[in-house]
Formats: sequence, C-alpha cells, structure tokens
Amino acid sequence: MPNATDVRRGTGLSVSLEKWLGEFRLELEFTAGGRRLGILGPSGAGKSLALRSIAGLETPTRGRIELNGRVLFDAADHINVPSRERRAGMLFQHYALFPHMTVAQNVGFGLGRLAAAEREARVRGLLARMHLDDLAARYPRQLSGGQQQRVALARALATEPEILLLDEPLSALDFHLRGLVEKELLDALADFCGLTLYVSHSLEDVYRMCDEILVLARGRVAAFGPKEEIFRHPPTAEVARLTGCKNISRARPVEEGAVEALDWGVRLEVHQPPAKARQVGIRANHISFVDEPGGVNVFPCTLVESTETPFRRTLYLRLQGENSSGGQLQAEILKYRWEELKHQPMPWHVRLDPELVFVAVD
Amino acid sequence: MNWGAFALSLRLAASVTVILLVAGLPLAWWLARLRSRWKPLLESVVALPLVLPPTVLGFYILILTGPRTAIGRVYQSWTGSTLPFTFAGLLVASVLYSLPFAVQPFAAGFAGVDARLVEAAAMCGAGTWKTFVRVVLPLSASSIVTGAVLSFAHTLGEFGVVLMVGGNIPGVTRTVSIDIYDHVQALDFRAANQTSALLLLFSFFLLSATYYWNRRAAAALLEGGIRP
Repeated sequence: MPNATDVRRGTGLSVSLEKWLGEFRLELEFTAGGRRLGILGPSGAGKSLALRSIAGLETPTRGRIELNGRVLFDAADHINVPSRERRAGMLFQHYALFPHMTVAQNVGFGLGRLAAAEREARVRGLLARMHLDDLAARYPRQLSGGQQQRVALARALATEPEILLLDEPLSALDFHLRGLVEKELLDALADFCGLTLYVSHSLEDVYRMCDEILVLARGRVAAFGPKEEIFRHPPTAEVARLTGCKNISRARPVEEGAVEALDWGVRLEVHQPPAKARQVGIRANHISFVDEPGGVNVFPCTLVESTETPFRRTLYLRLQGENSSGGQLQAEILKYRWEELKHQPMPWHVRLDPELVFVAVD
Repeated sequence: MNWGAFALSLRLAASVTVILLVAGLPLAWWLARLRSRWKPLLESVVALPLVLPPTVLGFYILILTGPRTAIGRVYQSWTGSTLPFTFAGLLVASVLYSLPFAVQPFAAGFAGVDARLVEAAAMCGAGTWKTFVRVVLPLSASSIVTGAVLSFAHTLGEFGVVLMVGGNIPGVTRTVSIDIYDHVQALDFRAANQTSALLLLFSFFLLSATYYWNRRAAAALLEGGIRP
C-alpha cells in the first residue's frame, strides 16, 4: 500500500492536482511509495495528461506535486519547477529519439555538464547495460523498434532521474515483438531504484510490469492499490470492466453471505460482506465447469455461442436459475477442456466459486 | 558594366542576410512557439512587406528616420549624420523589407520540428538555448538556408525601397537595380541588358543551387534517421 509516512520522510511521489483542458477535467490524487505504479485506463481517460503534468510538460490548473520531499509544483505558492530540473526521465510513446544524432549522442545528450571523459564512460556503461554496444554509431532510423526503445530508456536513465515516466512504451511495437521487448524492459528497469510510473491502456502489460495500479476513468481515480487487490476485489463495476472483467450483474443483498444477481436470476453465496452490494461479478476465466449438479453456487446452463482464440475458447452461457432473466455469462476455458466438454449433454453445470465472486458498491 | 554597383549590391545583400540570421532566427523561434491571441497580428506585421508597394514602406522609413522624429534625432546625435541617403539607412530599410523572406521560412522550419523532440530535450535537462542549437536548428537546416538565400536574392534585386530611402549616390546607395534604371533612362539598352542578364543568371544560379542542396540535405536526413 502507498505509505503516507514514507512521503513525509521524503521518499515517494505525492500528487494532488486538477487540470482543465477545454471540456475535459483531470482530477488526480494519489501518493505512491512503492517502486512501480501502473496507471491504467481507456484512451481519453487522462493518463498521458497525468504523466505530462508530473513531467512538467503541462501545467496543472491547481494543486501540488511533491517528489522525494521536493516540491515540483504548487499552484498556491506559484512554484513550477521546469521539466529540465525535475530529475524525471521520460520514455515517450514513440521514443522521440533525436533523428540527427547517433545512438551514443542521443544517450549522452543530457550529460553536457560532465567532463568529456566522464561523459563517455557513462554513455559506454549505459550502452553496455542495454546491450547497445555495437550500435553506438548508428542513427535511430537504422534501429528496430525494440532497439529504439532501449536507446530511449538509456537516454532517460543517463541523467540519473529520481522518477521514470513511461508513456505506453509497448504500444508502438508489433504484436510479436512485444513479449521480447517487455522482458528487456523489465530487465532494464530491475536496476533502477527510483519510482517508475507506467502508463498503459493494456491491463496485461500493467499487471506484468507493476506492483501497484491506479485505474483512471474519465479523468478521475477510480481505484488505487496493490494490483492483486484491485483485480480480486474491484471496488466498482467500472473498475471491474476496465480491468477486464466480462461478467457483471446488478445485485442486491438477500441475507448474510449471499446476494441475488438480478441479471442472471440466481442467488450467489459470496465471501465479501454483501450489505452494500449493488453489483456482483466474476472473471471469465474464474468460471469452472463441474460434472454433477449440487454444491455451492453451482448452476445448470446452456451454451448460446462460442468463439475461439489460438489457445482458448470463449463460451457464452445462459444460466437456468429459478427466475432466470436471460442474462448471459462469459466463460473462458483452455482448448483441451473444451474438447472434453463439448461432447457432454446439456445442461452443463458451472460453478461460481464464492471466493472468486466479488461484490461492488457501484 | 558598373562593377561598383554590383559590389555595393553584394555588400548590402550579405549584410542584410547576416542581420536577418542573427535577428530573424530568434524572432521566428519566438513566433513559432507563441501561443497568444495576438499572434495573427504579429504575423501580419512581419508579412506586411510581402504585399506593400516598396514605395509605401520606403516612404514611412524615410519619414520615421528623418531628422524631424525622435528616432532620427537620436541617431543623428550618436553618429552625426541622418539615416536616409546613407548605406546604413539602406541597410535598415532592406532588413525590414526582406524580413518576411527570412522569418517565414524559418518559422515554417521550426514549426515542422516534432514538438516531442523539444520536450524530450527538456526532459534530458536541456535549457531553451541548448534545445534550440542542438535540436531545433539542425532539424530545420534546410528552411534556414532557404530563408537566408531568399533574403540575399531579394535584397540583391530590390528597387523601390532603395530609391526612396537611399536615393542614387554612386558608391553609397546606387545598387545594381538603380544602375539598370539609370541606363534605361539614358536609353542605354545595351548596358541595361548586360547588367540585367547578369543579375538574372546570378539569381537563377543561387536559387537552383539552394534547391538542389535542400534536396540532398533532405535525403541525407532520411538516411540519418528522420521518420518520413
């Protein structure tokens, strides 16, 4: 969890700002003490604007930004430290390498204050760390996407920043390259001991790269916390949807430990306190199939439709509850399981494990 | 052939080009980045010499720098002479007259530099000056060469402003174009033709050399790494 005392001691990032941009309004409030914070949200949620405000490339309308005890921005006190003095490194979405400079010149660009020998040594060290030794004399145009990204990262790390801001670092890459580049990025970040903010619209990228997640929706913080917590118990239906949950139903509490899922027409046992439940949900890959009827949260169902991806099969199911209202559930299973399942006579039986069912207040 | 007039015109054009590089580059950089509702007005002022008859511009420069205005009197108390009908006066008038030919290509070049590169430079700790010199200037080199050549060639060929502000003093303000005018007035078409043809060829050579250079520079930048 973000730790307020850490920030008071002078480590971490504390942000409280508003930025008005035409009709759009960004309201951001969080304190990050962990090492890697992912900012997740759909396009247009204000992710890049948030990052650019922290970088000093946008000026917030009001608020305050503090990094490791230094005030970077304070509207009330008229403090606005320029980008070049914020000790923040930024990895731009399309890397923004200087096209007229070689790899070595790009990496050494921010080191003008160092003596020539020292600068050269620092650049050599960074190039070696990023496996770019052989490319020092090349121009950005002559590099692959993954290599360009490593150069951009080396350039951002060269000035020894206290915070690293990554703006959709993988989105410019072809799909087949992403896994590899992501691995390289993780390795490169492993040595970085400052705070990293990782902006992405891809929940899988964010989940793999970060410890904590901040979900941004329509310019506001919809959720903030350790990633496991947010994926296991999304506080609202919106956060559930933004973190990839396909099955959400309106709900009302019926008794201790149970809710009625109105869209699915069934009564569900849940482990979270259901008193304020307005929504209930379960992830598609958390739905399991059982051979026998009976048991907790086991319901008969029929298959409506199914689609396939290379390794998985997505099933659209209709539950046969006492008062089923026709809402569908989406389940995702591995191909081999589908091969077993498809020969069995309907109705099949699904189990919505009470441990994996979450309730949301809104 | 009046080589004195040629030498004078070349000296004037070279001086104007240097002044416009020194003053026009910062002005264009400022204009390109300016976010103000007054920007169109400023751009109009810079572009005015493109559409004004040179006589109008020359007339106002003549009045403004004459001995009856504050500017004229300050200049006179400093230098002991008035601006009109001197080389310095010609220089001032020519700089103003050629301003858009330099500033517009410069500003277009600067506006074409990817804003993210400027931001990336700032994130690397670079100040405005370093960003300008190391990132913006190299990436707009061809626009800067174009602006400089246009200013040079335009000054070389100007007539109306020179006549209004400089008059026709041999060795001081009699430029090539005035020289041609004098020959025509004197019905000496042969001399007029010689000088005109030389000016025509020279200007053509200058422009074509620039355009060829720009083409090669663009290709070199692409080799080097600019994304198309």
